[in-house]
Amino acid sequence: MQINRMKKALQLALFGATIVTGYSSGAAAQDYPFRDITTAVVWGAGGGTDSINRMIMSEMEKHLPVSINVINKTGGVAGSNGMVYVMNQPDDGYTLVGLSESNVTAAVQGGWDKKFSYWHPFIVGGSPDLISVPANSPYNTLEELVDAAKQAPGTIPAAASGSGSIHHLNLLAIEKGAETTFKFVPYKGSAPGQEAAIAGEVQLVVTSLAEQAPLIEGGLLKPLAMLTPDDVSFGGNNIPSAFGIYAGLDAYLPLKQAIGFAIHASASDDVKTALTAAFDKAMASSVVSDWATANYYDIGGQSGDEASALFSTLESTFAWTLNDLGVAKVDPMTLGIDKP
Amino acid sequence: MEFLSTQITGFMHAFVLLASDPVTYAYLIVSVFLGIVFGALPGLTATLAVTILTGFFGNKFPLEQSMIALIGAYVGAIYGGSYPSILLNIPGTAASAATAMDGYPLAKRGRGGEALGLTTTASFIGTLIGTAFLLAFVGLLLLVSKNIASPEKALLALFGVLLSGTLMSKDLPIKGWISGLIGLSMAMVGMDPILSEVRYTFDWSYLLSGFQVVPVLMGAFAIPQILEGMRSTLVAQKPPPVGRIVPRLGALFSRLGTIARSGVIGTGVGALPGVGEDVAGWVSYGVGKSVSKDGDQFGKGSINGLICAEAANNAAIGGALIPLLVLGIPGSPPAAALLGALKINNVIPGPTIDPSFVLHVVAILVLASFTMVLMGLFTARIFILVLQIPQTVFLPIVLILTTIGSFSVGGGINDLYLMLGVGLVVTAMNAMQYPVAPLVIGVILGGLFDETFRRSLFLSDGDFSIFISRPGAAVLLALNVLLVLSQLPATKLIFSRLRKR
Repeated sequence: MQINRMKKALQLALFGATIVTGYSSGAAAQDYPFRDITTAVVWGAGGGTDSINRMIMSEMEKHLPVSINVINKTGGVAGSNGMVYVMNQPDDGYTLVGLSESNVTAAVQGGWDKKFSYWHPFIVGGSPDLISVPANSPYNTLEELVDAAKQAPGTIPAAASGSGSIHHLNLLAIEKGAETTFKFVPYKGSAPGQEAAIAGEVQLVVTSLAEQAPLIEGGLLKPLAMLTPDDVSFGGNNIPSAFGIYAGLDAYLPLKQAIGFAIHASASDDVKTALTAAFDKAMASSVVSDWATANYYDIGGQSGDEASALFSTLESTFAWTLNDLGVAKVDPMTLGIDKP
Repeated sequence: MEFLSTQITGFMHAFVLLASDPVTYAYLIVSVFLGIVFGALPGLTATLAVTILTGFFGNKFPLEQSMIALIGAYVGAIYGGSYPSILLNIPGTAASAATAMDGYPLAKRGRGGEALGLTTTASFIGTLIGTAFLLAFVGLLLLVSKNIASPEKALLALFGVLLSGTLMSKDLPIKGWISGLIGLSMAMVGMDPILSEVRYTFDWSYLLSGFQVVPVLMGAFAIPQILEGMRSTLVAQKPPPVGRIVPRLGALFSRLGTIARSGVIGTGVGALPGVGEDVAGWVSYGVGKSVSKDGDQFGKGSINGLICAEAANNAAIGGALIPLLVLGIPGSPPAAALLGALKINNVIPGPTIDPSFVLHVVAILVLASFTMVLMGLFTARIFILVLQIPQTVFLPIVLILTTIGSFSVGGGINDLYLMLGVGLVVTAMNAMQYPVAPLVIGVILGGLFDETFRRSLFLSDGDFSIFISRPGAAVLLALNVLLVLSQLPATKLIFSRLRKR
């Protein structure tokens, strides 16, 4: 109540101010946006989240009267530095945060103390995960690999970037769905994990198609199965979906990347409407679809409630998996994150 | 051959891209100038120049642009050290200690200008030679490095620390190893890389993320230099007059062979992990002395001696970047600071590094060396004036820059305490003649060593034979053992006896 009253008082004061300062600036203050927007990407320059944000922002600019600057605010726990930075900016829609599904773990990992519903997200898309083996691997199908793992449970080393990453969760899901266990070896990111597979240090790797594409094209990795419902044709070859091989998989999968950006959920409806309009127009453009095809991304395009629901599912899956693994620093219960 | 031609076309593309951007020149001119000034002021080193700029640019500017500043300062500072070496007989950086041997006698005879001109061109050609090797080898080595797995990486990191300890120590190699081990153990603080367990943090949340690279670099390289400089105030001297600086082409052409040989030696030494420009200068000088026709004139004002040292120390820059980009193992102390900059930008060197980033670095090196030679030949008199700034003026300025740099990367007061703490410890180590470079290499490579060593054992279920069963690992293990054995007094004794027989 008090906050509302303060807001009213502030609005009144602002109204007064606009009358005093004059007509033109008064009109401008009403129309969002009237000055440049900044998007702070929480992951490093050159990464997937960064390139997607730079692409979509330059496309959205065409449908907005202002320009959008993309900066990087990296570091912290699961990108918490960047999220805290944007949180501390006013919720006027002039500071956006560029993020991905991995950021939903920031709270349970102790990076900050907010649920993901703090944000009003927009999802550009994500690249589907797949399971691959080194080019010289004896395994040519997912069945052969799983059978070998069943012979000697917990001995076949598997790379899937860090504990609690989307790729690790996908690996856990395939283990549950195919009723087998691998020896999970954590790496600090997808690239080192893939390098390890090429060097023969691990016998399989789970990362996204976008991340593996150049290595598959270069003949260094052999793709076995997509961890999404549909087959994918890649460079003339078909990568089968694991769903057709193990029927129980759909109980755990798909768990997909969601890369995009967000504004404070507390931002005004005008801001949300203006951004959504620009976002929808940008997503419909051929630039975005061409970019997605060339880089092996699936287009998302969700915003508002639909996107929030997706992120909320990701958040509870991630948080509780981390909790079960014993690596969560904060109990998801205390944050109010429900079990999936 | 086909590989080389794609590298060259790729480089041309990166070069045109870089050279057509006006912003590049702003960065280049400022950073090369700053680098030369840092190099020229005795007590300020190339490592310090790169470290301070890492603090300033760090994660605030796009990496492509901050790399221009860092590499520009690196090239400038290695070259800039030759000014006081030649004119005052005080090496501006350790890298140009060998330059003073012949440079100063020449300057005393009134040939200072000629010496400066020749070192400038030798440094320029040396940098280009190192850069050419970088361009040719990084791609090839990246292909080979695809087969390098955790056990090899762990042993390579260890080799880097041990080699740096052996070669950087003034008296006993064990002092270098102790320094390296201190660095390695500092890197163990924080969350462990495999299981995310907390280690050695004493429940202090600041230590959870481990020792931050930039404050450690600042503490190790800047604070002791400043304290030392303040203790023994060198009285700024007036340099002798110099004549014409732009060298005569004839004098240059007759020495192209020496320059090329020194460049190759410099690149090779630079490429050794943790061994930098200073060793490169001395090795090339030593080789030159035994190979050159006028070897007996070395140390008495030989132009050839001067060129040997200067071409080699600048060529070492390109060499030092080879292991940095291929394996994430810095080839020299300034390259360690560069690695710090890559780390805070989340760029992981290795087989999956963006090839265009490597080409970008090569293009920067070429542009930086052109900037350096133009500044060296035409604005040398400014740098000679800089030599007369008293230390009591510039050291406090450097301390302020260092503090701001340390603070600005992480933005916490604890980083400053860390910087001061490391600074005091390193000052004490310096007083006891422990080399500091192995410590920093240890801190920088410690994370890699820790992660890959533990992961190797994790993969083998604790079986140490994983370090022997892979052929690459076995060779590297043998190298490590040989390196340590070769320095033990007992082995040295046996060898000297064998030689006598």
